[in-house]
Amino acid sequence: MPYRLEIALKPELFDAEGDGIRRKANNYFGIEIDRVRSIQVVTIDANLSKDQLKTIQTDIFTNPVTQFSSYDPLDIEFDWTIWVGFRPGVRDNPGSTAVEAVEDILNIKFGPDEAIYTSKRYCLKGKGLSFENVNAIAGELLANNIIQQWKIFPAQKWDPATGTGIILPKVILDHTPRVTSIPVPSDSYLQQISDDRGLALNPNDIPFIRSYFLDKTVQTARALKGLSDPTDIELEYISQARSDHCNHNTFRGLFQYRDLETGDTDTVDNLFKTCIEVPTLTLQKKKSWVISVLWDNAGVGRFDKDHYYVITGETHNSPSNMEAYGGAITGIVGVYRDPLGTGKGAKLVMGGFGYCVGPRDYSGPLRPHLHPRRLLDGVIEGVRDGGNKSGIPTTFGQVLFHHGYLGKCLVFVTAVGIMPAQVKGKPSEKKKTSPGDLVIMCGGRVGKDGIHGVTASSETFSEHTPAGHVQIGDPYTQKKMHDFLLDARDEGLIQFVTDNGGGGLSSSVGESARFSNGCEIQLEKVPLKYEGLDQWEIWVSESQERMTVAVRPEHLERFMALSKMHAVESTVIGEYTDSGILHITYNDVTCACVDMDLMTSGFPQWEFDAQWIPPERRGLFEPILKAPDNYRALLLDMLSRPNICSKEWIIRQYDHEVQGTSVIKPMVGAERDVNSDAAVIRPVLDTRHGLAFAQALLPSYSAIDTYHMTSCTIDEAVRRLVAVGADFDQIGGVDNFCWPSIQFHPQNNPDGKLKAAKLVRSCRALRDICLAYEIPLLSGKDSMYVDGHLQGNYGETHKVSALETLQFSATSIVKDIEKCITMDSKMAGDLVYILGTTRNELGGSEYYEHFGYVGLNVPKVDPEAFIALYRALGQAIDKEIVASAHGIYRGGLGIHLALVAMGGNLGMEADLGVVPADQIDRNDSVLFSESAGRFIVTIDSENRKAFEENFKGLDFACIGTVTQRNHFVIKGIDGQILVDVSVEDLKAFWKKPFGELI
Amino acid sequence: MSMVKALVLTGYGLNCDHETAYALELSGAVAHRHHINSLIEGAVNLKDYQILVFGGGFSWGDDHGAGVIQAVRMKTNLGDKILAFIDAGNLVLGICNGFQTLVNLGLLPGFDHDYTKRSVALTFNDCGNFRDQWVTLKVVSTSPCIFTTGLDTLELPVRHGEGKFYAQETAMRRLMDENQVVLQYAMPDGSPADLKFPFNPNGSIQDIAGICDPSGRIFGLMPHPEAFNHWTNHPNWPRIKEKKKRKKDNTAPVITPGIRIFKNAVAFIRNK
Repeated sequence: MPYRLEIALKPELFDAEGDGIRRKANNYFGIEIDRVRSIQVVTIDANLSKDQLKTIQTDIFTNPVTQFSSYDPLDIEFDWTIWVGFRPGVRDNPGSTAVEAVEDILNIKFGPDEAIYTSKRYCLKGKGLSFENVNAIAGELLANNIIQQWKIFPAQKWDPATGTGIILPKVILDHTPRVTSIPVPSDSYLQQISDDRGLALNPNDIPFIRSYFLDKTVQTARALKGLSDPTDIELEYISQARSDHCNHNTFRGLFQYRDLETGDTDTVDNLFKTCIEVPTLTLQKKKSWVISVLWDNAGVGRFDKDHYYVITGETHNSPSNMEAYGGAITGIVGVYRDPLGTGKGAKLVMGGFGYCVGPRDYSGPLRPHLHPRRLLDGVIEGVRDGGNKSGIPTTFGQVLFHHGYLGKCLVFVTAVGIMPAQVKGKPSEKKKTSPGDLVIMCGGRVGKDGIHGVTASSETFSEHTPAGHVQIGDPYTQKKMHDFLLDARDEGLIQFVTDNGGGGLSSSVGESARFSNGCEIQLEKVPLKYEGLDQWEIWVSESQERMTVAVRPEHLERFMALSKMHAVESTVIGEYTDSGILHITYNDVTCACVDMDLMTSGFPQWEFDAQWIPPERRGLFEPILKAPDNYRALLLDMLSRPNICSKEWIIRQYDHEVQGTSVIKPMVGAERDVNSDAAVIRPVLDTRHGLAFAQALLPSYSAIDTYHMTSCTIDEAVRRLVAVGADFDQIGGVDNFCWPSIQFHPQNNPDGKLKAAKLVRSCRALRDICLAYEIPLLSGKDSMYVDGHLQGNYGETHKVSALETLQFSATSIVKDIEKCITMDSKMAGDLVYILGTTRNELGGSEYYEHFGYVGLNVPKVDPEAFIALYRALGQAIDKEIVASAHGIYRGGLGIHLALVAMGGNLGMEADLGVVPADQIDRNDSVLFSESAGRFIVTIDSENRKAFEENFKGLDFACIGTVTQRNHFVIKGIDGQILVDVSVEDLKAFWKKPFGELI
Repeated sequence: MSMVKALVLTGYGLNCDHETAYALELSGAVAHRHHINSLIEGAVNLKDYQILVFGGGFSWGDDHGAGVIQAVRMKTNLGDKILAFIDAGNLVLGICNGFQTLVNLGLLPGFDHDYTKRSVALTFNDCGNFRDQWVTLKVVSTSPCIFTTGLDTLELPVRHGEGKFYAQETAMRRLMDENQVVLQYAMPDGSPADLKFPFNPNGSIQDIAGICDPSGRIFGLMPHPEAFNHWTNHPNWPRIKEKKKRKKDNTAPVITPGIRIFKNAVAFIRNK
């Protein structure tokens, strides 16, 4: 019989969670509540004795110092009470750990029908709270109806004896697993099946799939296994493997590119190959530090002679858009499995994040599923729990607000790992499966969750997107598996390891079996969360926290013993073969039999029409804007813009120094409150080597030209690394593209051809700049459907597409961490230098955006000139003659000089008249142009000669000094004082928008 | 000189084991990381060690109160062995999640040498969220804690969501009277934080950041000494380095206060 235990903090203790809800209700909805108290509810669906219940109540669930609890409803006063619990089948992490604890203390084992569920009850006190108020708090603040359910009780309808009643969100599937054969008489029939089952097959693939199953030889071979028509599991397998998410069909597509200005045409066959693969392989030949790229879950570079670092980046947009917390935690925990599944396995050492969302204070007519404010809250918390509970420092991140992300938000997550160069004397980056190796699934169990996640993310989002693909990551289970697999690796027990992410077993087994060229899988062996899943569901389920490992039979016993010691579930589900066939049985009956080479053979290439219309022809021009005269107010308002201002509240929630490796933290300066250019860690504790990491995003430039958006984004990431003292010659890159749909459709995507051309131009810039800067692309991903259909005031819907966005992540080696520098000015009397040239490049700038303009003169990258400067700065830092260095990024010189001053908590006097500039004669242009390739550097005046010698022949100038007087003073081109403002005021305005958030 | 052996627990979501072992090694100990289960199953024996560290992390996801389930598992399976370990005059250190575990086990505060009773707690931060920041700590000079010998004020990072020290009045009075408070959050100049956020980052009463048992051999603290294992861990090290350079001060950086905490432990065992 079930029992419901309610637990709460003693009344004399401050309830931080409850108070947070009270504050948010007021700030977000203007609802006044006097007090909120929160109650933890633990519902135990197991047969336990009175004594056992007492033991677990006192020893596990109730802290005698701070809490009180009861198996009857707690008597806490309220006007309204809200109960919130998970829907059936949603991952309940505290419920699982409760089972572990109860089993341990009582020395019992829960049966398959027994479980513990956790939920919450909130007691609200407030005069005049209406049902509508309370329902808004429940639905808009406490629960998301996709994963949660709630109940609301007014005080007068509350029965103190029964309370909420007992609610068991148990999954009961009264279903006998069944394989369905699907005839393929015609293309249109298969298309219909694809639509009905949510397979998301590309229409171009359908004839090819049919021809395979209608082939006589194939049919004969299938008949021997008892198969005729394709089974549902086979079609699901093909659909997963062919999805854009897994196969990057867009990037591998054939583009007919036409420049409408010049009339020039060009056929681009496979952007991935021409712009990513070829340049990277070319650079790999030149750079011995590039160890393994373009085939594994993540790229591998050399850290030092005994260690390699591993990096990759992912997005988790669609799920986060539906359920922000669940999507984001699943995203970060998921990307952490990539380095763990690279080579023979890497230990995770660092994570990064990038969030692109609608304006936090959006109050327009469109109705996204989650308001951007709520969405951002949830995403921040998801990455917080996912990262912190994994014990991996989150060292760098960025947030960008733009209307275009109302349709679909972007959640970038990046993971960095480290592994020994050799495992048991063999190269750690190499792995393969061989016939006879056992297929082992480790970690979590399989449920209905995440089914069709991959195909859903390959489609444009609508309110009807099935919610089944929303999950909640479980960092605890994964951390156990992470520790276990690294132990197993070090003992030499792992032949091959890969993660179960998108596509589940279908992807992980399908891809790993390509090495041995076949496998036999016994699907009934896969451990399930609950009975009743169809075979195809087991095969494609994306239930999280699982890895697929190949283990030699002679290592099985040790592998399983180690697994048990780490309290990780591992199960042999089959064997790798060299039969050339992926063969799946369920209780000895064949349910799938597909040739291994099907997925690599003649599927038709996707085709796109790409038409480039240069910005002038699209009607873009420089705004007619006369120079302002109140620069003090202008600078302060610029500092308060959401995309410029301080977002310290986010990084403070993230453990950014676990593992004890922190060298340059995300927040630096005298008061540790200004963002650093990059993060640096010392991942191998007993060396002075460091790993620097930074990311950049500049989607605003896409409105003008994605070629320059891409160039500038890469340049920014590079400068961020150079600014902290990282080696320019060992930079590795990760490209994460998020693009609106590029397939032209006259009604649904009329500007698809332009978006396709923008993708081609972006990829060309990626190729050109990476080759010029010699940056191999260690890893990369694309997410091609960042569009949404949002309802407006009158029931109409609007397609909202995101800006074409590239997040570029970069890493490099720091040869001696003790020479790293930060961006904050250090001492009064130091000289302030500008390196690089400021040009009339305000197109797409934050300054123009402030006035609602786009402009035309987008910043451009001049690799040859920039490289000389970056090398010179690297040398100066190495000589230890630089006190601070900071790149000039979004917002321009004015913003970034202010940041250097704020970092040092020291004043500054600077003269715009001497800033190295090209064809600029206006103060606002000098202050806010976003020309690439520039830095602000401060140095000890004693080093002046050596410093200037170092930059001989390059564009640089001393523009002022760091001052003791706490004032930021800018002199205009004409010698007049333009701005005189205290550093305190700069900080106050910079922190104003989000300063109250914790 | 005899070898000082330290055991750092791992597994079940614990995560600061590598740097904690590294800090101990830097301090002259031989440090082993071992899974909680290898201790329970007997493959590893507590008797072979003199320092036991409950490190940071999220044991069992911290789902039912930080450190609670770890304490339950340790008490159920190893309770007597841990008590014997303490009786033998050895040292126990609990950092962050480890501190939370020690108070749930009852090893702290250990009033009247009863190491099984829960009488203090670490609960949710008043600020309502997990927080990573550096804090200034004042060492209570009268405390018998062997780990903080010779330290006066120091800076360390805190990284927790449940670090608010709480006890009822009688327990609080005993802690103060019996000098069991070891570390208190302070202002940058060393004066008491007096609950002022963010200097006291969690609302701990009496600004308490760490306590010890009456013997001074069991020590728990929320801040992370192992995360200050190198002078470049300090958030302002580039500023400190630049200032030294201007003074033409070429002296090598001193041992970090984080490492001094571990060194004190190793020295104590060595001199025993």
